[in-house]
Amino acid sequence: MSLVRLKGGTIFDPTHNVNGERRDLSFRDGRIVDLAPNMPVDREYDASGMIVMAGGIDMHSHIGGGKTNLSRLLLPEDHRTDPLREPAGESAQDDAGRYLRLPSCGVCTPGTLATGYRYAEMGYTAAFEPAMMPSNARHTHLEMGDTPIIDHGAYVMLGNDELFLQMLAARDDFARLRDYVGWTIHASKALGVKVVNPGGISAFKFNQRSLDVDEPHVHYGITPREVLHTLSRALTELRVPHPLHVHASNLGVPGNIESTIATMDAADGLPIHLTHIQFHSYGVEGPQKFSSGARHIADAVNARPNVSIDVGQIIFGQTVTASGDTMMQFRNTPFARPHKWVVGDIECDAGCGVVPFRYREQSYVNALQWIIGLEIFLLVDDPWRVAMTTDHPNGGPFTSYPHLIRLLMDKPFRDEQLAKLNPDAQVASALPGLTREFSMYEIAIITRAGPARLLGLRDRGHLGAGAAADIAVYRDEPDRERMFTSPAYVFKDGELVARDGTLVATPTGGIHFVSPEFDRSIEKTLRAYSDARLASNFAHAAISDDEVCDCCRGGRLLPVECLANG
Amino acid sequence: MNASGTTGARTPAITRDWTCPFCPLLCDDLVVESHGDGTLSVADTECSRLAAALASYSATDTQCRSVVDGNEVALDAALARAAQILADSRRPLFGGLATDVAGARAVYVLAAGCGAILDHLHGDALTPATLALQDRGSFFTTLSEVRSRADLLLFFGCQPSRRYPRFFTRVLASTDIARELIFVGCAVDPAAAGFAHTRTETLLPHADPYDTLALWSALGEGREPGGLHRDSNGNDADASPAATLSSLQARIAAARYTVLVYDPGALPSPHAALLIEALNRIVKAANRTTRAACLALGGDDGALTVNQTVTWLSGMPLRTRLSTPARSAGTASLDHDPYRYRTSRLLAGGEVDALLWTASFAPLAWPASLDPAVPLIVLGHPALADATKARGANTVFIPVATPGIDTGGHLFRVDSSVVMPLAAARGAALASVASLATQLTTRLHEQRSGEVQQ
Repeated sequence: MSLVRLKGGTIFDPTHNVNGERRDLSFRDGRIVDLAPNMPVDREYDASGMIVMAGGIDMHSHIGGGKTNLSRLLLPEDHRTDPLREPAGESAQDDAGRYLRLPSCGVCTPGTLATGYRYAEMGYTAAFEPAMMPSNARHTHLEMGDTPIIDHGAYVMLGNDELFLQMLAARDDFARLRDYVGWTIHASKALGVKVVNPGGISAFKFNQRSLDVDEPHVHYGITPREVLHTLSRALTELRVPHPLHVHASNLGVPGNIESTIATMDAADGLPIHLTHIQFHSYGVEGPQKFSSGARHIADAVNARPNVSIDVGQIIFGQTVTASGDTMMQFRNTPFARPHKWVVGDIECDAGCGVVPFRYREQSYVNALQWIIGLEIFLLVDDPWRVAMTTDHPNGGPFTSYPHLIRLLMDKPFRDEQLAKLNPDAQVASALPGLTREFSMYEIAIITRAGPARLLGLRDRGHLGAGAAADIAVYRDEPDRERMFTSPAYVFKDGELVARDGTLVATPTGGIHFVSPEFDRSIEKTLRAYSDARLASNFAHAAISDDEVCDCCRGGRLLPVECLANG
Repeated sequence: MNASGTTGARTPAITRDWTCPFCPLLCDDLVVESHGDGTLSVADTECSRLAAALASYSATDTQCRSVVDGNEVALDAALARAAQILADSRRPLFGGLATDVAGARAVYVLAAGCGAILDHLHGDALTPATLALQDRGSFFTTLSEVRSRADLLLFFGCQPSRRYPRFFTRVLASTDIARELIFVGCAVDPAAAGFAHTRTETLLPHADPYDTLALWSALGEGREPGGLHRDSNGNDADASPAATLSSLQARIAAARYTVLVYDPGALPSPHAALLIEALNRIVKAANRTTRAACLALGGDDGALTVNQTVTWLSGMPLRTRLSTPARSAGTASLDHDPYRYRTSRLLAGGEVDALLWTASFAPLAWPASLDPAVPLIVLGHPALADATKARGANTVFIPVATPGIDTGGHLFRVDSSVVMPLAAARGAALASVASLATQLTTRLHEQRSGEVQQ
């Protein structure tokens, strides 16, 4: 039972339209409370001159599950090149004498322990795994549970599983498809649903090498548009707060602007979230037949209020791309650097492709990808519909966020970086003419308030009374990269977890999930399918509350409410 | 779920949909009966491995006591002595590691507390797979994909039923796909016979695996069999291996989905990694025009599970050494080295000063090469008690629960994409590896802080 006051900070809380107001912020037992200024408290922190925001929320970050661990297995060199830490810095112990920071390393795909530590040290208090296969759900929850401090959750992948495609091809009753979607969310303890290259992962299993939005799947005859429409309608009827999370068709293919816009329209006006849209914003103009489609895409987003996006900004340097999109990842394998890669077909659910990649400043294509990401950030008008991501680790590791924030907030810095890039790419860029600089308020939207709203997390991403006391307090330094790298204080559920970039506590994070209502009779169909096609027993398909709690090391269950009817 | 709850060791109970923890197929369609006398049985099992594993559980398991230096002691005394051994050790090895996810998680924290080296009982089988993956990657598939789509199955130098008796039942039974099963470099697995719509045959049963894969790789890259006739002396050799493999390539090209099955543990050492790399290279090349994937067997006794868990926690796979913050400046807290941190090498060279041996699935003893003077802590199956008593001095034994018999748990299935939940079939009151490792961690730190105060 403790009452804490953060004194004199400058507050940015876009959910409540608070734009740089200097006032105290108090919390008790992990929740923000309204408190009279003269009320005595148990502990006070001086935040004067500092900037106070809710903890950061990364709505699309590959932090756990099969392909993430394959990335680690594939790249021991990534882990060996992790800068050495001072041993002395690891000797902090908890009350029981255990070391707070256990050994864990890696740059682009750190171990789960390092992932949790680094997110927290950066002022982030939640991250969401966007590509959990139903068959890999336990593994995903186990890894997320071993990601300390931050809360987590996952979007379950549908739309490439054989059963869904069979039902769609057989023109099964929509209600049954909807119940299947509801059951899958329930069984895998997911927060939302993601579709990756709709139908395309399955099509690759039947040796189809590309699939456009209105092109039929070679085996089932259905189109990506039908998959998108069915899934977004199902989520709307199930009243799941997060819209369908879409990794669109034709990832990385020059000229994919059209299919990206067609993907937006496949939702027929229902809410839809297009993820890492940078990879889906490519034109075919110019001598290299590769150009920025950012303007087109931004215009399309601006014109469609039902669409939200995250960017998937690329960051120069070594990373690894890990995706369920086997069709596209296999195409990219010749570009693997270093020259090694993993692709797999998984459990009639989906698949995965892990391809290491080095984004180079002097590569025309890579430079333009970097430019396109920034153009999209700067050209989309409504920051509430844009989330800041690098699609960790696909565009770059999440530890690049402070750098990315500076690129968005600091035009001269952006110009300086642009000048280092491939000269042809600079010429092909609209970036020099984009003078917009993100304000602190807008950064607070795209890194916490917006993602919380898009995910339906009502008590996160803001600083109103009743909200969880997930708080980041930054020193107001002119170098925004430095500022966002190591906040002065980070609180998780009211507990101080990091101070000036150093851990002081490592609590276990909680798990966000949603439990939509659906007709249980769908289980008969699922059991029959499982018996006929799968190698496991349907009796073990669903994860109970108790089991997910075990997977997550006893982390708190944080059920997210479905939207109200009407 | 377990009808008897977790404490009713003496109550007969039947568990349906039970998942067997004794091999990485993790068959989950079984009915297990726990009898009043502490024994267990599965009626009508076709699995010799399961039957043998169940025979190691008996009425006396719950009376099994801890042992220190040959004498039975209370758990508390055994934990105290074990913690003392770890606190005194400068370079402990945590070997065996036959445990589940929860055990691996807790053992990792303990290893971090005392700067231990981690290697698994099956480290020698695991390592070539790890090395091949680190060097070139892989192209893999999973059991349900095999079951529902594979029409051509190639088995390279392995008969899966030898170690995984129900392999063919799991992937072939009650399906109606016409399939060809070809055993390359070995005889047909007798267990593969008798499935509907399935034909079996063998190719090059006596060929050298390296030669076979060299030829096959060349053919996979488009070389003509006619150009591959010469042996190493430049003479025209028997053309048949190249021609045989060329016709195999044609069958892969014509198949809808080819799955190439291999077992790292059955490949000839010490260069099994080269064979694994070649198998995956052949499959990767095939995917340029058709669809194919590899299925690697192995991962027994929690090898796959512990490797996965250590990898996600630390970033590094097994055969990794952890260091405490007391290490010298300029060194890393994790050092992954599959050659250096091999159990047999470390023991032979006298490079470790304590061994923590975990064996929760079967009474598998520590390596015989362990110097009697090196302190040994065994977190083991109750049936290991006598062996530890016989070792006498420098030995601590604490009986542990088997996941799936006396506790729940999680294990990775052979294809490494699916984690299966385990339910306790018997529920005898034995401590889990996870709980013991956690208690040891606490005691280790108490011991350390006590020493500091003195």
